[in-house]
Amino acid sequence: MGRRIGVRLLSSVPALFGVLVFTFLLMRVLPGDPAVFFAAGANAGQAEIDMVREQMGLDKPLHEQLVRYLWDITRGNLGNSMTTGQPVRTDLIERLPASLELTFSALLLALTLALPLGVLAALRPGTIVDHFVRFLCTLGVCVPTFVSGLLLIYVFYYLLNWAPDPTGRIDIFAANAPEITGFLLIDFALVRDWSAWRAAAGQLILPASTMALFVLAPLARMTRASMLAVLGSDFVRTAKSLGLSDLRIIVVYALRNALLPVLTISGIVFSTMLGANVLVEKVFSWPGVASYALDALLASDYAPVQGFVLLMATIFVMVNLLIDILYGVADPRATVA
Amino acid sequence: MEFNRRQGLAAAGGLAASVALPTGEASAQTRAETLRYVTGNAVNSLDPTVPGSTRESFGVSMNVYDRLAAFGRKRLGDNWVFDHNEIRGELAERIDRSPDGRTFAFHLRPDATWHDGTPVTAEDIKWSLDRCVSARSLAPPQMSTGSITKPEQFRIAGPRTVELMVDRPDRLALSNMCVPYAIMINSTLAKRHATTDDPWALAWLKDNTAASGAYMIEQHRPGTQTILRRNDKWKGGALPNFQRVIVQTVPEVATRANLVERGDADLSIDLQPSDVAALEQRGRVKVVSVPQTNGFTHISMNNTIAPFDDVKVRQAIAAALPYQHMFQASLFSRGRALFGADWTGTPPTADFPQPMPLALNLDRARELLRESGHPNGFSTTFTIGTGTSAWAEPMAALIKESLARINIQVDIRKLPDAQFNTGQAERSLPFYTEGGTAWLPAPDYFFRLYFTRPQRWNFASFNNEELNALTREAQFETDPAKYEAACKRMIGILAAEVPLILVWQPLHEAVMARNVEGYTYWFYRQVDFRDLKRV
Repeated sequence: MGRRIGVRLLSSVPALFGVLVFTFLLMRVLPGDPAVFFAAGANAGQAEIDMVREQMGLDKPLHEQLVRYLWDITRGNLGNSMTTGQPVRTDLIERLPASLELTFSALLLALTLALPLGVLAALRPGTIVDHFVRFLCTLGVCVPTFVSGLLLIYVFYYLLNWAPDPTGRIDIFAANAPEITGFLLIDFALVRDWSAWRAAAGQLILPASTMALFVLAPLARMTRASMLAVLGSDFVRTAKSLGLSDLRIIVVYALRNALLPVLTISGIVFSTMLGANVLVEKVFSWPGVASYALDALLASDYAPVQGFVLLMATIFVMVNLLIDILYGVADPRATVA
Repeated sequence: MEFNRRQGLAAAGGLAASVALPTGEASAQTRAETLRYVTGNAVNSLDPTVPGSTRESFGVSMNVYDRLAAFGRKRLGDNWVFDHNEIRGELAERIDRSPDGRTFAFHLRPDATWHDGTPVTAEDIKWSLDRCVSARSLAPPQMSTGSITKPEQFRIAGPRTVELMVDRPDRLALSNMCVPYAIMINSTLAKRHATTDDPWALAWLKDNTAASGAYMIEQHRPGTQTILRRNDKWKGGALPNFQRVIVQTVPEVATRANLVERGDADLSIDLQPSDVAALEQRGRVKVVSVPQTNGFTHISMNNTIAPFDDVKVRQAIAAALPYQHMFQASLFSRGRALFGADWTGTPPTADFPQPMPLALNLDRARELLRESGHPNGFSTTFTIGTGTSAWAEPMAALIKESLARINIQVDIRKLPDAQFNTGQAERSLPFYTEGGTAWLPAPDYFFRLYFTRPQRWNFASFNNEELNALTREAQFETDPAKYEAACKRMIGILAAEVPLILVWQPLHEAVMARNVEGYTYWFYRQVDFRDLKRV
């Protein structure tokens, strides 16, 4: 298995390389000139623009820039961000845990809601339960995340004052988070600071719910469809005829077999969420990677965007691999091919 | 046992209360002494001179670094605004100007110290000033507007005296010592982090400070938050009221408004005019609205591209814009109009920007267009940037509608900011709108910066021999009467030639907790925390 994983990782290198070169070229084809944007100080003229261009290495011919960039990447250097003034690597390392923690929580929340809802809908197809689940899913998909996010803030923070102020991961007046893994829930649990843990969880609830609502639909619909197919299959009929309990049939036999497509969809949903949660990050001032990349893109700041795309591509490869491994757990016939 | 949960709980509760009380009080006190400022921008550099540093970085640097001198402030109605005509010493306790106006002697405060406790020396000041004109940063071009260009102009004249010498008595030499770029640096500390490639420690000072100002950096997370702590040994002015200042980036503008209204944040600027109007109406926060006395919004025409190279076309456009409607739709009239004046020829005062004789007159516009040889109009593109779309979009729609009436077809094009700026710098945009602010609001500086020379900030690519000569001379004019006459002439040229149209000065609006006082509008459009106090 270890060797197979190694082969899989190795075979993804050409794809990553392609993504790298493509993003590199794409950024340079875009019409905005970062040097002009960043040399925007009062009285800054052409000399200052040229100075910034040289600092960013943009005065060199394109092929030389590319070779230099690839060489830097092999040494783990992703360049510097003009937007934050920091090395891109530092920024991504600092911000990725925030995005991952939010995405994991949202996915977990979405799955705990979507699986029971999907199963319920599949057990009672065409009934009021089924229609209710369908309604809920449609609603989640239709309302854009920035609308639902702002709405949740308005109701739970502004009107009811139940939620803490929607600005980032911890209360701004509270003590600093221990920097161990960067995942606040894990870090606070490690140092056994439970009141801070609750505060961090409180900050997480609204943004995670916003994202969970949005991805509820694909997960619940896929669970329902897949459950319906499995419930009609021979082995379930056999199990029923043998008099096994309903719970055992549904959870142990049906659900486990129905999980395969749900797993696939979860992998895709996770990757999409990580890149697409930019609006949620913006609305909740969440210091994640997506809003970081968007800010950089608007400023035509090449290095952070390239770094972000590379990171996303790598995560996508990893998630796909992980999903394939999980296939084996859900269905022993499947292997990491 | 009758001793039980209730008593136990009560005891525990009492204990908790008695333990919690002092800490609770202490934290409440700290909250009152802490100012939480939320902003849509981010502090990306602690050194304001680094290319790419944001306006937010300028604001923080004004609080953290001292300059040799600083502008004063004055009352404008109920509000405070900066006063560029009153310059006081900051790190200097006294500034002497020689009778010929060419030498400034800065006498340093004897008790001034850097944040690390070491005394401020003349050598430090000389090094900092040299850096302003020598480092590869944004400071040298700014300094050059005050005829300050080379290290030889700075001389150590005594243990605590540094002199600045200019070849001609430049009106703005001293003003340039007050701008955000003119930071005074602890040279001993900075030199320790300088390298042969980077002799001015630009890289190190981007994330670290070597300053003497009223606040020190307690925590700096670029792009997220910066926390300032008061420097109790500050000698540059009265000790600020707030002990701690949190500068936090909150990208969503509605959230910033909510935070201040709920009392969780104390101050925010740059909110949307519509939000500010609503907040003001609900009355739970204090709104300070000051016209940006050194700013303006303009509609530019590229004077080098046909048909805008024809003055009659430009005059026709100026007569065809629905000023009042645009002002209402874009800004909810929250600003100072720069149109609708009734003078012709020479303006009543030498102040600038001031209302210009601009009014909607479609008949006159049609006639001018006929005279220019475009009786059937023409087509053009009006460009706006995404960053300004909140006010530029309504304006663009009204311009399109109004110009259609004189047969000018306008396509509206909206570009991301980096693209917009690129087009602007390459002078490829024929017709567009943007805002501008001049740090030093002297009329001749305005005209020199925005209406002369083939450079980026000459928005309209205007080139008028008389104006060029006037700005060159006015910079060194020591006779107030002659200076005023020259400025009036410049404004007259602008009115006659309409290279671009100045439409209004937007309001600078700060929304704050009701108990925060002393807010001052500064030329760099950021908050000076030293002005503020909680009452």
